[in-house]
Amino acid sequence: MINLENISFTYKNKLALDNVNVHINEGEAIAIIGPNGSGKSTFLKLLNAIIFPSEGKYTFNELEINEKHLKDNKNLKLFHKRLGFVFQNSDTQLFCSTVFEEIAFGLIQMELPIEEVNERVNDCLMLLNIEKLKEEHPYNLSGGEKKRVAIASVLAMNPDVITLDEPMNGIDPKGKSFLKDLLAVLNKSGKTIICATHDFEYIDGIFKRAIVFSEEHKIIRDNTYENIIKDKEFLRQYNII
Amino acid sequence: MIPKWLSEKDNYIPKEEKNLYIEKSIFSFIKTISIIRQNKSQDKLLYLINPNLKVISTILNIALISISRSFAYLLIMDIYVFGNLMLMQKKSRKRIFIRSLIFPIISLIALIPSMFYGNVYNSLLLFQKIIITIIMMNLLAHNTKWSEISKSLKLFQIPDIFIWIMDITIKYIVLLGEYSIDLLYALRLRSVGKTSSKYDSITGIIGNLFIKSYKMSEEMSQAMECRGFTGEYTTKVNFNLKKIDYGYIIVNLLLIVTFIYLKYQGIF
Repeated sequence: MINLENISFTYKNKLALDNVNVHINEGEAIAIIGPNGSGKSTFLKLLNAIIFPSEGKYTFNELEINEKHLKDNKNLKLFHKRLGFVFQNSDTQLFCSTVFEEIAFGLIQMELPIEEVNERVNDCLMLLNIEKLKEEHPYNLSGGEKKRVAIASVLAMNPDVITLDEPMNGIDPKGKSFLKDLLAVLNKSGKTIICATHDFEYIDGIFKRAIVFSEEHKIIRDNTYENIIKDKEFLRQYNII
Repeated sequence: MIPKWLSEKDNYIPKEEKNLYIEKSIFSFIKTISIIRQNKSQDKLLYLINPNLKVISTILNIALISISRSFAYLLIMDIYVFGNLMLMQKKSRKRIFIRSLIFPIISLIALIPSMFYGNVYNSLLLFQKIIITIIMMNLLAHNTKWSEISKSLKLFQIPDIFIWIMDITIKYIVLLGEYSIDLLYALRLRSVGKTSSKYDSITGIIGNLFIKSYKMSEEMSQAMECRGFTGEYTTKVNFNLKKIDYGYIIVNLLLIVTFIYLKYQGIF
């Protein structure tokens, strides 16, 4: 499904990703682990084609994702429909006047019948347990509520892959465990989950695989989540715990 | 728990739409921010000169250029600014040159009728003054950090609090700019179909930005209060001169002497 071959990304003469090679199959649940500044967020931005690699090849469903391919508006929209991104800072993701409009934003653009839009929005509100916030302005919500709205707005578009950048940041323990269950259920329903995180306490049981980035912006380990998380010495050596 | 539609794949094919406004907005934001944030601590000669000296000499030279009536002096200043331009990084050099040409050329076009009435000398003098002044200001903006330029204003008896407000303003232009880029990215990622009201989402982003800036300013004022800020702020000017600074002073003194000499000799 997703294939990254010898990907490097340089920003202002600084290497942010160094020779990254990853293959992700449909339905996987992968944790992206690494210390601060190791390139986790850059990796997710690259997957979502917010930035493009300086070197290497990125393919999604056998199609090479590059500026040329996405210059065609149709390709760009289809790509973003299939791959959803939950930003680390939910504030930057919410720009509509009510929670309902926020979740319906993508659906209205997809020109779905109004009944289906309403159905999907209500389902997402229920799934994220935010029905009460339907008519609220997203800016007046708490950090955890904003995160739920941001996730709902992505889920409503029914993407095949959901990428999340530090979704547990700024959320209370109850919210974290809710999010953990939600991610596990989404993965079970067939969604591919790729999530950058270092909140290990609350992600047990979601991920089957983990990819570890080092401070040198390289992938140093790609293994089962269990194996990596149990290897405390390795995690300590690379400043992860 | 999971609704049926979420576990099935959508058979969605987006419609063709030529709409590049998000791309263009992202690009223009990134361009502006990268100019403010660009690395101005290079090894190149001009970047190493004391910023206070650069600010003083630029203002002084601009004052002399505006009062000069000598073509010879302006020609010398032309050589001086183009020499400085050659000392800049290749990328900045090209950008400064192209930007500095726009307004002088517009002025020159506006002066054409005056030239037809025989006012050629004065018109060319004006054209020269405009181009040199703009290049000098652009050079200063490109080879000196914004914070250092604002600190240098203390030399002109500008109150510290004003300098500080300028510093904070520049910092927040960058912060809010980066925030808007993220908002535009989020908008692009969710723009998966046909938008009937293309600019509505931009209005949402602007509104969001206003609320964010209000909250940020409120939080900053509270943080300042907690750190003991009572309304007084002191900036210090760095006047430690290096060898290169003395060289710069000599060149600028020579330019001033040239101005005085040409003025009193009446050389045009």
